[in-house]
Formats: sequence, structure tokens, C-alpha cells
Amino acid sequence: MPADRTIRKVLVIGAGPIVIGQAAEFDYSGSQACFALREEGISTVLLNPNPASIQTDSEVADRVYLEPVTPDSIEKIIRSESVDSILASVGGQTALNSILLIRRLGMLDSLGTRILGTPVESIELAEDRKLFHDLMGKIGEPVARSVMLSREDYGMIADDIDYYPVIVRSSFSLGGSGGNIVRDSSALKAVCRDYFRSNPEQSMEVEESLAGMIELEYEVIRDSQDNCITVCNMENIDPMGVHTGESMVVTPAQTLSDCEHNMLRDSALRVIRALGIVGACNIQFALNRGDGSYHVVEVNPRTSRSSALASKASGFPIARVSTKIAMGYSLAEIRNPVTRDTYAAFEPAMDYVTVKIPRWPFDKFQVDRTIGVSMKSIGEVMGIGRTFEEAFMKAVSSLENFLSHSLRLNVPDSRLESYLSRPSDLQIAAVFEAIFRGMKPERIAELSGYETYFILKFSGIAAKLSGIEIGQVPENLEELKELGVSDLSIGSLTRLGEKGIVRARLDRGLLPSFRIIDTCAGEFRSQTPYFYSTYGEQDDVIATSGKKKVLILGAGPNRIGQGVEFDYCSVKAVRALRKLGYSAIMINSNPETVSTDFDVSDRLFFEPVTLEHVSNVIVKEKVDGVMIQFSGQTGQNLAQGLSEIFGGDIVLGTSPDMIEMIENRAEFSGRLAELGLRQPEFTSLYNLEDALEKTALIGLPAIVRSSFVIGGRSMDIIYDVEELVQRVRDIFTENPANPAIVSRYLEDAMELDVDFVSDGERAYICGIMEHIEEAGTHSGDATMMFPPSIPDVLTEEIIRITTVISSEFRITGIANLQIAVKDGAVYIIELNARASRTVPVIAKATGIDWVEVAVKFATGNTVAVRGNAIPRGVFVKVPVFPFERFPDLDILLGPEMRSTGEGVGIGLTREEATLKAFMLNRRKYGRPSRVLVTVDDRRKEAALELVSYLVQSGVSILSTPGTHEFLKSRGIPSEIAYKLEDVRKPDVATVIETGDLSAVINLLGTGSGTLRDGFEIRRLAISKNIQIFTNLKLAWAYFGAIFSGTEPVPRELSDYQPGNPRRT
Amino acid sequence: MTGYTEIMTDPSYRGQIMVFAAPTVGNYGWKRDHMESDAVQVSGVVTRSAYSAAGYLDSALKESGIPGIDRVDTRSLVLKIREKGTVRGVISSRMEIPWDFPDPMKLDLVSEVVSNEVSRISSGRKITALVVDAGAKKSLLKRMSEIADLIVVPHGIDPAGYLGEADFIFVSNGPGDPSHTSLEPTVKFIGKQIGKKPVTGVCLGQQVIALASGCTTYKMRYGHRGSNHAVTDGMNTWITSHNHGYAVSESSMEGSCLNVLQRDINDGTVEMVGNGEAGVLAAQYHPEGAPGSHDLSWFFERVKKIVEDSVARG
Repeated sequence: MPADRTIRKVLVIGAGPIVIGQAAEFDYSGSQACFALREEGISTVLLNPNPASIQTDSEVADRVYLEPVTPDSIEKIIRSESVDSILASVGGQTALNSILLIRRLGMLDSLGTRILGTPVESIELAEDRKLFHDLMGKIGEPVARSVMLSREDYGMIADDIDYYPVIVRSSFSLGGSGGNIVRDSSALKAVCRDYFRSNPEQSMEVEESLAGMIELEYEVIRDSQDNCITVCNMENIDPMGVHTGESMVVTPAQTLSDCEHNMLRDSALRVIRALGIVGACNIQFALNRGDGSYHVVEVNPRTSRSSALASKASGFPIARVSTKIAMGYSLAEIRNPVTRDTYAAFEPAMDYVTVKIPRWPFDKFQVDRTIGVSMKSIGEVMGIGRTFEEAFMKAVSSLENFLSHSLRLNVPDSRLESYLSRPSDLQIAAVFEAIFRGMKPERIAELSGYETYFILKFSGIAAKLSGIEIGQVPENLEELKELGVSDLSIGSLTRLGEKGIVRARLDRGLLPSFRIIDTCAGEFRSQTPYFYSTYGEQDDVIATSGKKKVLILGAGPNRIGQGVEFDYCSVKAVRALRKLGYSAIMINSNPETVSTDFDVSDRLFFEPVTLEHVSNVIVKEKVDGVMIQFSGQTGQNLAQGLSEIFGGDIVLGTSPDMIEMIENRAEFSGRLAELGLRQPEFTSLYNLEDALEKTALIGLPAIVRSSFVIGGRSMDIIYDVEELVQRVRDIFTENPANPAIVSRYLEDAMELDVDFVSDGERAYICGIMEHIEEAGTHSGDATMMFPPSIPDVLTEEIIRITTVISSEFRITGIANLQIAVKDGAVYIIELNARASRTVPVIAKATGIDWVEVAVKFATGNTVAVRGNAIPRGVFVKVPVFPFERFPDLDILLGPEMRSTGEGVGIGLTREEATLKAFMLNRRKYGRPSRVLVTVDDRRKEAALELVSYLVQSGVSILSTPGTHEFLKSRGIPSEIAYKLEDVRKPDVATVIETGDLSAVINLLGTGSGTLRDGFEIRRLAISKNIQIFTNLKLAWAYFGAIFSGTEPVPRELSDYQPGNPRRT
Repeated sequence: MTGYTEIMTDPSYRGQIMVFAAPTVGNYGWKRDHMESDAVQVSGVVTRSAYSAAGYLDSALKESGIPGIDRVDTRSLVLKIREKGTVRGVISSRMEIPWDFPDPMKLDLVSEVVSNEVSRISSGRKITALVVDAGAKKSLLKRMSEIADLIVVPHGIDPAGYLGEADFIFVSNGPGDPSHTSLEPTVKFIGKQIGKKPVTGVCLGQQVIALASGCTTYKMRYGHRGSNHAVTDGMNTWITSHNHGYAVSESSMEGSCLNVLQRDINDGTVEMVGNGEAGVLAAQYHPEGAPGSHDLSWFFERVKKIVEDSVARG
């Protein structure tokens, strides 16, 4: 059936800010959907408040609304844009929930808009556990047995259950989180007795535990004519019980027989047909190896993280095809965009293996590293190789963390078993460690829950690693490379360093061959330049000639501090280079991203973004230059190595020498002093004795960190001497060889983020963003405003400083400068000679493609630039935090970054923008009636004005005893909420849990005695989704906006951009 | 990736060296109940990375005296075959290669793979099939036995004597060129039966039925192999399991009693033929899967219906 030509204008709903469980994969699928609609001549209206995404670029969608995804904004946009259809299947759970909500509100009928693709009824069937289980029962598909318990009947039912162990959940926490495993009826009764004592009216759900079974996923597509295909299957190396987003996943499944595969495939087709999905879905199975039985676990009725992974693993673009299906096409009418000569109605055949490994934030967060049914990982990497070993080791190498160096775990024998049996990010290292220490594979399999097959594969790798000797290039280098062992690992084990091994390998002419991902294992000719490397084979890839070639580095896995904004930058760099007539070659290892969509670049190398693999592509393609300034710190870290191997000229833009100088604190600081630029005083401490004396010169408060880690890690603001000694001692314990650095903390200073471009002489401001919080909050965590509310004279001074810096460090391309302003003086905090995370939002606010400008400068082109363009509205960028995922993580913000993503609120006024921005942080939002205030002594005076303002605005105040007394002394009445340890009631916990609170204001410095109590208050507020403020300025911004009486109105992005006439 | 046991023991692959495009083979061991015949039937096996931890694959090959060669750049071989068409090959441990050997496709391969005795599979079904066995896969017979009692008459034994007991004829899969002289008696026999009794078949069976209806077959450039091929009836598409190096020429079907019911979605190869009135139905692919999908397992239900209708008509 051809496309439905009555579809003319489609509202595509995006997934919003990046959070754990909903990340860059929806930027990829959403962008693909927009491309797929656009090439059919259908106009696209995009709703997504995530300014870092590529999807919200005007090159992707026709009309862009960076607005909160609410029924109100959806309704207004549909009316003002005359949208006829909605596509909600490429915006994750956010988009699905929004259409379920607008349907419940009856808006679909009143607006006369249709939902493309999978009908809403089918989504409800898949999402509602009971309806889904009933449907599976009807078609005879096995699901985990379950039963509801109440206070009256739990005893009897507990005795009747014959499928222990079971997972017990309270009715509060259905779906994924908060389950306990219970092994027999007496244990179940004990759990129930406890629970019903305090929750007599609630119920509990008991479900058969499938933990330990093999977890498999099938990506299935169905068109409106009931044709179905499975794109591929995926085997989770971690057994059931570990969320698939937390599992290592191999594609295709490695341990399934054809009978097992087709049993599950048949089931998958029955399930997708019964649900009536039109488009893509992901179906999860649990397979019991023992008796060959299976259970259907869950269906995601939309594109998902897994479908992005499956698309990259198989080459089959699921989001694109499912969007075409939503337009009415059948699978047999859609061309396979990889081969171009065959059709989408087929099942990809892979002649390679891919392995996905999650990337967790445990290097940044000191929290419980256990993984399980709820996600903690921020991003993921995929390795591709001809064998499992090669794919696995390439994935490990892509992680850019401790595993990339060495797969060892330094624990005593007595504790090894507990690391082996407890799922965590260290489990894989424990598996290797156990192999190195000679534990039997069967025993390792038993403890870890991994199939013996994989343990034997790991053993093969370990055997070769054990043979590596210190001080010499291994004789079996080729063999190691065939197993995918990285030059970095070999460099670590031999102590010759990564660069040493890369050089030795290139000198020997030991280069990988590159093969094509063609979806069909070579059966048909492929037109698609999508490559991976392997060793010891022929080459499918012929280096192109003609155009000049530039290699653009992707940013590797998403992690705290390096997210989708760098994918935006690298994709925009690709587009700019192509426009300039270059052949743009991309290298990246992140399967979630747009940059690893083979349609984006001239050639895509899906490889780890490491010195080794970047060098291989440079040699293979004989590239003319490498663009490293758009890929975050990953690119910066490669500058020096690339320069040493290929000469400094290989790097386009600011030279590696200058980058090194900027990153070397002492040298950089010396230069700044020579230039007459101020910076907060700092000093290096070489021992504990130094600390007091030297710090005294600088004065407290001060920022203390190790010189070993760059870029915002392990930093603390120190207010008193006791704390200083403790922190410095910790730093020397962790890193005895490196000095600690103490720098003056500018209290109550204003912090500004300045993005600028330069041709090496003149600098042009892209945008200056003002932090709402005072200096000291990491710029990734600060709420920021653009344009800033600063006097012209300060803007002039900033322009002068950027020009001075640009010519001094010969900044070519884009850079970011962080400054603090105190008492009219400007202090340089940090300079990064690369694109920052604010580039995408600035580009959208100014309507200027700053990446393109930077690319032109970096490639020696000239361009007329208008610096410091000011939008016709206010942009407020807000961070989004993962606190609900980490109950043991304090939410107090500081110099260490915590946020996973960002959203933007845009309005004609600061208040409107702030209102919209706060709709994005996933906490309760609205006109406040009751606010809990708890403030330490240092800040009580400062908080007074805000509390008075709230009281005048009709808010009732609750406060902890100290704050209560203080407010009382100033004539402000408040209800008292006692501290946790107090026997009197109500205590703060009760107040937060049952008090119908609108917000919590919790102002505590670190080091004050109330820290622990504050922690509890903050955790409780987070668990109840209550707006919580630990910063006074931010609280002012929020309450000021709320009480301003502003009604937010959605507007199209170009309405705000300078130079564009505003429509309404 | 899956299904190597089934493929290696499928009699249709007789006389061929199997190059596995899937890079790892042998991962889940060697399961006897997945075997499609009693031995490895391919003439040789070429793999990129055979999983040898437990030695299953190796011992299965040794048991049948079949050579295998591992750590070969199989993708490059696949690309060569795609460019050159199916090529002759040798696995040798010596440098002197005996290039002078006959084309295996010119041999009487069917006779090599069939037994010399008639067998019966009876479980009290309503209808009975005379199975002309040209090298039937076990799973095909098993699937057929779910719709009919079977009298399995191997190629080489005149089936005419069993006609009286049978409600219909089913021609199985098998190796080699359908136009090989050794198959001429079978083609003649089928030709006589079309119109008299329902005639059905799979794989080589479809080719034999087409030849018997006056159509011709041809050798494909490199054939269809694997379990991911889509076929369409013009309305719907299904994923099916293919293993055929020969196909029925569609242009030769003009004027014959056969209609094309399904084609391959990419190259248009004839994948199912039939004639409702004459009670003919045959598939080029393997509706029984093993390895591969069961998307078109309704083929067998349709065969059953055709035969039951024919029986009802008398």
C-alpha cells in the first residue's frame, strides 16, 4: 500500500532532556523519523525541549518547538501549525505517555488529529501489565505468573504459591523498581506482615522470579498489512535480573540453537500481531536452558534503546523503516537503504559480531555499584568484530575507563567470589581476574550467571594476555590484534604505552583491514560506506580519492560531562565539511547517536575513538586532517598523541601544542599573568605540611583538587581548616605522586560561560551564558540564562579578553571560556580549546551555525561573522539530574558534575523562560502552597527576604527548629517540623511524606553540622518528586517566575532568533 | 548463525562445499536431534572461526569423513562467489591441487543420498502421501507426517506400484541439477500423474513438477541460501528459508498448467507454483524451516486441504 497522501504535516514528539533510561538513542530515532518524513515531502513540526539534540536543528525538522511536552503545548502547537498527524513512536516513554495522556483528556478527537503508526489501543495493551498478561494468556504465550496480595488473604495465598522464588513489590512501586526476591512462603508472610502493618489498605504484587534465565531480545517490525520481520535478536550476557540497559549484549545471539531461535521468533511474531503494533517494537524473553521453556517478559511498543542498538548492529535503520510504515508503506515497498537494490522485507544476516557494554557513572559518583533491575548507566559503547572476542575487546577499548587499560581486579582471593556473584560494573573484571587466578570456567559461570560459552571465550583472551611481558612489543602482536586487544592494553601491560605500541605496529605495517556492514553478509552489493576493522583479512574498503578528506572524531560513550551535545557538534561539523566540499569521515563507538547513522557522513568507521583506531583510519584513508575540537575531552586527549605520530599539522584548528599549554595549569596561569588577565589565586601542595601554610596565603573558602584529574573531577569547596586537612590527606592517599591544587574560591561571584570562535587573531562571541547560581556550581550543573543580564562594559571586557586569549593561544575554531565576575573584576576560571556543551543551545538561540563558522576557521576559510548576536527572548537552560536512581548520592551541587542532560525554557521574559525550564526537571510543579524551609546559620539572614516574599505571596511555611526560632524572632510565623532524631512530631520526614509540600528550601553549606540531617531531607524530597532548592538564587528565580502570573505560550524557535520577524 | 547442524546434514547440499558467512560456527554444540539425515552431507566445510572448545564440530565431521577448514577469510570467499557465481572448490593439505575433477553437479547426487528401501510413516492420518524421496530432510518428512501417512519411496525404486495406496504425491527436496538425466524417470512419472492425483512438492520437488509440466529450469548465478529471504504473493510477504542453486524459468511457464503463486521479493525468482484445478502446489523454499522460519508452514495445511478436497470430490 503506498503512503497515505493525506498526511501533510506531522508533529514529531521528542524525548526531552537526556536522563538515565532515555538517552541519545531518541535523538537518533527522532532524527531518522524526521528525515524519513521530509523525503516524502511531509512537513515536520518537532516538539522537544532538549536543546543539545540534533533533532531540534532546523536542518532536521521544518518547525522546531523547544517547549515542554505537556498536553497544553501539544494542543496549542497542533492548532497553530494545523498539524494533521502525530508521530509519538520515536520519542521514548515521554512521547508515548504524552499521547496516552492527551487521549485520556479527549484531545485527540477534539483536535481531529490522528496518531501515526501503532494505535494507542495497542500501546495501552503493551504498557498495562494486567492487560498485557491477559492478552498473552489468550494467545497462549507464557508470562511470569503473578498474584495480588491484600492484608486479608496473603497468608493463604502465600501457602498456595508453587513457584518460589518470587519477586514482591508494593503497589506503590509497580514496574521494575523496588522489588525484593523472596524464596519461600514463610519469608513472604514475614514481608507481608511488615508491610501491611504500616500499609493496611495497600496491596502487594507477587511475581514468579525469572532471575538467572537467559535474557533475549527480538526487534520486530510489522506493517499495516500484517507483514512481519525480525530485524535481529540480541543475547544479554548478564542473566535475567539485570536490566537490559545494564547488561552486556551480544548480537546476534551466540548460544541459541536454530530451534530455540525460531521458537522465540515465532512467539515474537504472534505477540506483535496480537498487540497490533504498526511499526517497530522490542520483545524481551527469558529462556530456561534447563527445560527449553521460555517466558515473554515485556514489550516496548516503540523504538527504544535496543532498537537503536539493533539498527547500528545490523545496519537496518529501524526508526526510518517504521516511520515509512507509519506513513502507510508496506515492508515490501520500502527499499533497504544499505543495499538500495533490495527491500526492507528481509531479515539482516550478520557476518560479524557486535557487543554492547554500558558505561556507568561510578567514576564520578561515589555510590553503590550494584546493578540490577533499575538502570544506572549513562551511556553505552558497541564493539564490532569478526569474532566475539574481537567485538568484546573493542567494546572494552571504547569505554575509555579503567577496563580499557586492564581487565584485572585487585582484590584478595577471599573477596573475589563476592565480586563475581554480585552484578556490578566490576563483575566483568572479576570474571577475568578469576580466570587469571585459575578458577574453573564452570565455577565462574555458576557464580556470575554468564553462560559457560562466554567464560570460555574470555579464557581464550586471558590466556593470550597472560603471555605479554613487560618491556617488549609482544611477538604475537598480530594474534593479539586478531583478538581485539587494544594497543592501550598492550601498552599498559608492556609498560611501553599506547603510543609506543601504535608506533611499533604501524612501523611493522600491521594494519587492520576494513569490512563493510551490509545487512546481508555479502550476498548483495552494498552501497553504504559503513565500516569496521578486523585483522588478518582482505579489505572491502577502497580509500576514496578526489576530494580532500577530514576525519571527525565522535565523542565516544555518553557519560557525565560528555553527552549528546558533543554528538550535535560532531554531526554539525560533518555537515559543514560536506558543504565546504570535503569528504567527511566519522569515527565513533556510540551506538545511540546520530553521528553513527551511516547516512550522516561520507564514510562511517564504527570504531573506538582511541589513538589506535583513529590512527588506523588516518593511515587507511590518508586523511588530510583530523577535527578534534567537537568531541569533548575525548578529542582533546588525543591531540598530543596524534601530533607525535603524524605531526601537529594533522590536527585542524587550535594546535596540539597550544592545547597542551592550555591544559597545563602552571604554564597557562603564567601566560595569563603575562597578559595581565586575572585568575583566582592558586597554589600546588606537595605534602600535608604545605597545606596550612600555603592555603593561608590564599584564604578560605578554597577549591581543593588533585592535579592528576582534569576537568571538574574530585573537586571540593572547603570552608574550614579541619576540612582542608581531611581533604588534602585524602587526595594524597589516592594519588601520592601528584600535587594537590588549592585555589581561591570566589564567594558570591557571578559565573559566565563564554563560547567564542576565532581565526587565530580575532575572536567573535557566540554567546555569553550567565549562571543563575553563584560561581562554584559546575557549569554542567548550573542553571543558565541567555542573554545574560550584564552591563555593556562587561561585555566589552569579555570581548577584549577573548581576543587577547585567541591571539595568544592562536585559537582556531571554537573555544569556551569560563569566567567569574566579582566586584567588577573578571577572573579566568578555565579555558577549553574545544566546543563546549553550551554550543548547541547558543546556536539555536542565535540562529547561527557556530560549528560551521568554527569549521571554516579551522580549515583556513574566511567567513563574515557577526559576534554576540542577542536573541529576541530569554533562554533558560536547566540541568536534569539522576538523583532518583542513586539513593545514596547527595544532591548538593558543587564543582563536580552530576547532571545527565539538559532542557531549555524559552520565553519573551525571564519569568516565562524560567517557568518553562522548571517544567522539565521532572519534579512537582505549580503554584506553591506549603514550603519547608531549613537553613543553616550562615545563610539565615540571606534567606529571610525570600521567606518573607513567600509568606506575602500566601505560602505557608514549615521550618526546622533552628530556622523556626530565627523566623519567629523576625516576626515570620511558621509551622515547626522537628529533626529526625527528635521524639516530637511531626518530624521532617513525616512532613515531606504526607505534608502536601510544594517545595523544600534547604540551604546548607558543606561542613556544617547539619549535613546528615540535610541529606535525609534532600533524599526524601527527591523520592517524593518535590522541587528542592539548595541554592538561594535558584529558589528566587523559581518562585519569582511562579508568582509573576505569566502564562507560558509555545512559540517556534525562529520567533526568538535575532533578525527574524516575530510572528505573534 | 544458527542451524549449522541442519545445513551440514541436509542431503540437498550433497556435492557442495559449505562456506559459512556467519563468522562463528559450532557455538551451541552438535545436537543429534537437529540432524537432517544420518550423516554430514556436505563435501566440505569452510569457517572463519569454528568454536572448538568442546570439539563437537570437529568430531561430527570426522565421524562422516568430511574435511573442514577453519580460520579462513570467509567473507572474501562469499564476495568471490557473489562476483563469479557458484564456483568449484578444493580443500587440500597439499600444494598440488587436482584441478581436473568433474563438476559435482553433473553427478547422480540423488542416488548417493537416498536409501534403497521403501519406508512408511503411519500415524492414522486421513490421507496418505506417496513421497518421492530425492533426499528428503528428516524435518520435512516429520512435518509431512503431521498431515498425512507417508509411503516414502526412494529415488531409484519405481513409485508406480504404490500409487493405489496414495491420495496424493509429494516430491521431496534433494541435491543437484533437476534436469540431470538420472531424474528423467521421476519427471516422466510425475508428468503422467498431474491432473490425476494432487501433486505437491518442496525445493527440488517444485523443479521436478515444473519440468514434468513442460517448463524448464536453470542454474542460478549463486543461488539462494539462508533463512532470511522474503517471498511475496503480490500482497503479503513472508520470511522463508532457502537453499536452491536452480530455479524454475518463469518464461517457460507460459502455456503450462502452472501459475506463479509467489516470487522472491528481490530478484523475482519463482518461489511457489500451483494450479488449483489440477491440484498442484509446490514451494521452492523450505516451509518446514529447520533451519529457518516457520512463516509459511501453512503450506502444509494448504496441501492437506487440496488433497482432502480432491478426496472428497472422488
